[in-house]
Amino acid sequence: MHIDLSHYKEILIKGVWRENPVAYQVLGICSALAVTVKMSTALVMSIALTLVAAFSGLIISSLRHWIPSNIRIIVELTVIASLVIVTDQILKAFLYDISKQLSIFVGLIITNCIILGRAEAFAMANNPADSFVDGIANGLGYSMILVAVAFLRELLGSGQFFGFSVIPQFLYDMGFQDMGIMVLAPGAFFIIGLLVWLKNSLPGVSHEKK
Amino acid sequence: MSDKKRSFKKSRIYVVLFALATALVFSVLITSAATMLKERQLENMALDKKTNLLEAAGLVPEDKKSTPEEIKQIYDAHIREVHVDPRGRIVETPADSSLQLYLIHSDQQVQGYIVPISTRGLWGKIHGYLAFEQDGETVAGFSVYSHSETPGLGGEIESNWFQENFKGKKILNASNQLVSVGIAKGKVENLPEKLQDHYVDGISGATLTGRYLSEGLEETLTKYESVSVIFRQKKGSQTHVETILDE
Repeated sequence: MHIDLSHYKEILIKGVWRENPVAYQVLGICSALAVTVKMSTALVMSIALTLVAAFSGLIISSLRHWIPSNIRIIVELTVIASLVIVTDQILKAFLYDISKQLSIFVGLIITNCIILGRAEAFAMANNPADSFVDGIANGLGYSMILVAVAFLRELLGSGQFFGFSVIPQFLYDMGFQDMGIMVLAPGAFFIIGLLVWLKNSLPGVSHEKK
Repeated sequence: MSDKKRSFKKSRIYVVLFALATALVFSVLITSAATMLKERQLENMALDKKTNLLEAAGLVPEDKKSTPEEIKQIYDAHIREVHVDPRGRIVETPADSSLQLYLIHSDQQVQGYIVPISTRGLWGKIHGYLAFEQDGETVAGFSVYSHSETPGLGGEIESNWFQENFKGKKILNASNQLVSVGIAKGKVENLPEKLQDHYVDGISGATLTGRYLSEGLEETLTKYESVSVIFRQKKGSQTHVETILDE
């Protein structure tokens, strides 16, 4: 079988950039607000979501000819929820400290609209390999925004990067203060809003002209 | 695909069978993952509790990770787990009214004690430990091993800067009355001077977590006051870990 790499590249670019789940489709906003206070939680959340998106796409796509259409959402959710629970169990057994930090957020992947959205819109209509790549692409697109938001929020809100203080003390001595609002949910709203605006106003990506 | 097959796939019986099969396959997957990993998870939890207990007691550094063997070894050498009755005396068989307590010792000489904290938080229970020096009034350390507070806000209760602040705080006021340790709203330095010994810096954006934790600490310390009183009475004297809480 001939594998067309440019085809996968197309899916990847679409998921990561052109139809970025957070910035273009405005999905997965709730978790993007919740886990972006710190870089470390945002990163592990991104990895977990990308894996679940990829494997749920793979499994659902493999089953797509057998899933009865009237219960398909339930079946999709069963697959997604099972994968998330298994991920959570594995984290608890092997990466206990990280799983403690993520606490409820891993479980919340189940309700992330990106995963169900991709399962419904892509995996049900495409072959398993494409769906796997599509899951990775959307996971990466989500991760990109998450990490960018977390970077800004952690830097401006607590003056830190991955938990290390990066704002030099003399700036604080001169009267610099951390922006408290960045740690709270409104800070995430502002930053996500600005990022969406920035992304969609870059040349070549405007969706209005198409 | 034949027509017969196609019509079967549209039938209700197929839907039910498919749903049952899916449920069966995935429940087996989850159950086996959970059972196979359970032992490791329980081990992790037990180790995490011990690590936190030692952190509260200041026996391991909080910023450096110790190996499981180190933790077990330090724990066995310095911690003695006991149950006390409401009067603060050790009981052999734990009853409903007895309290759990950990004695810190070095070469069998008592160095202090650790009180387990279990209180309500904003989103769920907060579990942790509060360690005291031998004098029965100075806090030696505080740690949290389980909570459901929002990371970055209430979740900061598990961070070092917050827990560091408990060290050296007093639970008795100038007239020797129990006042517990409270979480201030904002910085301690903005409080009146006579209160500064009894408060730690609050977390901005987590007023409720702070309030619940303060209440929980006070409630717990009131229950353990009889133990603290015994320690205060024996203050300064070298006491053997086996006998300090005996009649």
